[in-house]
Amino acid sequence: MSFEINLRHRVGDCALSVDFSSEAASIGVAGPSGAGKTTLLNCLAGLIAPDQGRIVIGSRTLFDRDQGIAVPVEQRRAGYVFQDARLFPHLKVSANLAYGERLGGATGDQIDRDQIIDVLGIAALMDRWPANLSGGETRRVAIARALFANPKFLLLDEPLASLDHARAEEILSMIEQLGPSLAIPMIYVSHQPQEIARLTDTVLNLA
Amino acid sequence: MPHRRTMTVVARLFLILALALSACGKSQSSADGPVVMAPSSLQEALEEVVDAWAARGHDRPVLSFAGSPVIARQIRSGAPADIVLLADEQWMDVLEAENLLADNTRLALLGNRLVLVSPQSSNGGEISGNLDSLPILLGQQRLAMADPASVPAGRYGKMALQSLGLWEQLSGQIAPTENVRAALALVERGEAPFGLVYASDLAASDKVRLAAEIPEAAQPPIRYPAALLTSSTNPDARAFLAFLTAPEAEAIFAKYQFFRLAQR
Amino acid sequence: MISALEWSIILLSLKVSLVAVAVTLPAAYALAWVLARRRFSGHSLLDALVHLPLVVPPVVTGWLLLILLGRTGPVGALLDRWFGITLVFHWTGAALAAAVMALPLMVRAMRLSIDAVDRRLVAAAQTLGASRWHAFRTITLPLTLPGILAGAVLGFTRSLGEFGATITFAANIPGETRTLPLAIYTGLQVPGGEAAVTRLAIISILLSLAALMVSEWLIRRNTNGRAHVV
Repeated sequence: MSFEINLRHRVGDCALSVDFSSEAASIGVAGPSGAGKTTLLNCLAGLIAPDQGRIVIGSRTLFDRDQGIAVPVEQRRAGYVFQDARLFPHLKVSANLAYGERLGGATGDQIDRDQIIDVLGIAALMDRWPANLSGGETRRVAIARALFANPKFLLLDEPLASLDHARAEEILSMIEQLGPSLAIPMIYVSHQPQEIARLTDTVLNLA
Repeated sequence: MPHRRTMTVVARLFLILALALSACGKSQSSADGPVVMAPSSLQEALEEVVDAWAARGHDRPVLSFAGSPVIARQIRSGAPADIVLLADEQWMDVLEAENLLADNTRLALLGNRLVLVSPQSSNGGEISGNLDSLPILLGQQRLAMADPASVPAGRYGKMALQSLGLWEQLSGQIAPTENVRAALALVERGEAPFGLVYASDLAASDKVRLAAEIPEAAQPPIRYPAALLTSSTNPDARAFLAFLTAPEAEAIFAKYQFFRLAQR
Repeated sequence: MISALEWSIILLSLKVSLVAVAVTLPAAYALAWVLARRRFSGHSLLDALVHLPLVVPPVVTGWLLLILLGRTGPVGALLDRWFGITLVFHWTGAALAAAVMALPLMVRAMRLSIDAVDRRLVAAAQTLGASRWHAFRTITLPLTLPGILAGAVLGFTRSLGEFGATITFAANIPGETRTLPLAIYTGLQVPGGEAAVTRLAIISILLSLAALMVSEWLIRRNTNGRAHVV
């Protein structure tokens, strides 16, 4: 698994410049607010096309400005866990989870769904509406939904933000537990260095 | 705050504009002649009669044109008019029965004739005789005429078609309008290939041509009554009503194909 | 209770209004979507044109339709020559007049609901593998359903009450274009016709009330337990 990320992108006053390459399975992205951490994730997911650069993840070239390569969002297979969760309000939890599942298609390396449900402890939430979930429950469902789509790599944007300590700790251990068994690269964004330290060895600092 | 200042400026401009506009325009109330309500078929003729009256130095009467049913409804609801002209006696009877007419002022003023018209640009010559070929020429399309259920021109038209033995056949193929001028407009626009209108309407329009004369025997008795309303307040009203029977007015009406009827 | 003639008028009105709304629905949604989601140089002009029937006197709208779509109008002449379609004097003309008058109301209601859909949800769907079209079908469209329903009902009730444009464009043909409002108006013209007209007027009010209540129920049913972005 490898990451090769070289990009430059300007959003308003914020100028993002990243030159990074690593073979690590999980990478933390640290930096103060406004440094462009979310922008970076959006570039990797394909939601933003950087002004210049090249993105290669797991030996797939997802973006290359010079060569005119830009894989569309829906084909990048990025499991994106958004900071604001973004569960679909008109679908029950089970339907939210199944959303990416139906589109994922068989790739041979199937994710063990039962294990994910087990580890994240969301079996009891299947029949609920997203509006009726607590903050912690929402985050856990969001993580599961991203995983259920059979992604090739994971992007997590401050998944523990504004959770109380107990919940945060809970979810942190779940991610710790899931991480190795998933065998896909993970990029974890946070402004809390302790979280990053626990989950990842390699850190990209945006400052 | 610039926003609030802009709003005040706009509000002031608006106020000034409103005041200025209300000061413009014809000065109202005192200098107006009597209010005359008349059927739309009289539009051009009556405007010229009013011009002649005003040229004699009188205050200019105010004219309001609509289909006779609409006029009748407005007067029954208390519209402040002085003089009313209608296109048939039936509607005038309705007003008389409700005591809306000033005593002894009702008279049968004008007569008219029905004609069949077609668009100016249409080909084919005149249809002669008793209009037997009309249904065939009409085909799938519609005959434009005023609403036979309520508008005088429509009632007269239905009478004429009944006399000609064509009503049964054509009644499902008409395009009923709220006044005879609307029927005329449909023919002018080419929406209807034929229309049943007054001779005066044919005279008033250059976009239609005569397709057929309605035979004398089938012509219904068309009478335009006029009367003063009990609600009249204008001092000129009686004089103007009398003027409508004067030779000068008679000549103008005749020019537009309305003929003067003998006194009732 | 209700005479055969009155039934035929009611059914004609329902037919005209239902067709008007059904045909306009996709166009209204497309317009609402373009106005809500796209910025382009003709945006304000398009917005103004869509709202025109709302602010212009209905008779003027009817007259404009007549100029364009009457038998001698530029579009109408083509329709007549190529397809043999005439709209004036036909219920299809009444439906068109109703549709044009209802369009702005429908677009407004739908645009409001499209605006309210968080675009970040669409982005989330895309990351899960949905194409733009699939995301539209499964995320945007269902979430805007209340707006679609509200727009449809508003359009329907507006069509039921449409008068000025209909009588000017399609004319007042009994059985073809004499919808409820036109029938009521015509009935008022006949001396002593007020009694007959009262029944039609009551029916007209009841129909609109029923439509509004159905829409309330539909909207409530479809927004149960929902909120927006969680």
